[in-house]
Amino acid sequence: MVLHVFDFLLRWAHFIAALIWIGHNYASVVQRPNYRPLAREELVNNEGATFMSLLNREHGTFRYASVVAWASGVLMLWQRGWLMDALTLNGYFAVIGTGFWIGTLMLGNLWLVLWPNQKKVLGFVPATVDERIRCARITHLSSRTNTMLSIPLLFFMAASSHGAALFN
Amino acid sequence: MKTLFDTAGGTIATGLLLTLVLYLMVRQLVAGG
Repeated sequence: MVLHVFDFLLRWAHFIAALIWIGHNYASVVQRPNYRPLAREELVNNEGATFMSLLNREHGTFRYASVVAWASGVLMLWQRGWLMDALTLNGYFAVIGTGFWIGTLMLGNLWLVLWPNQKKVLGFVPATVDERIRCARITHLSSRTNTMLSIPLLFFMAASSHGAALFN
Repeated sequence: MKTLFDTAGGTIATGLLLTLVLYLMVRQLVAGG
């Protein structure tokens, strides 16, 4: 019983964290569907401690939501004893395993590609104007890569619990 | 350099195409083929 409750709570946390993370990503697609280069005057330049702290909170929230989403997913697999089968794409576990690997790619993309560049774009770390504009192109591509990867990820997540017929 | 990710449509179409390709691959894997 305790394990079932734990599993359920993990799934709940997984949904909420994934919605916060990917919802933020989709909001950016809706706000700016087509890429256009960032103009110099659009760059945030020391807009004050309050504004910078809000910006930091916004980006921190979705960045750490990605960690919660990933960790709760891994814990669910581990708790059920499915982790190794999922990681090695063994049998039907290949369905959720594919979701795991796409999610891991997205987490790496967010923390190792998007965030280091975003820190410069937003002015959290010093960079020249040209460098910040160059980084904005990278953050756009990195963010849209995750948008694109979220489509198969959600497919495999849903299919692992509700799509057995698709794989027979 | 322009990429498919420069538009929302290109991003979504790429995601759907990747889903189809991965689905076919995983289906083969599950079937043991």
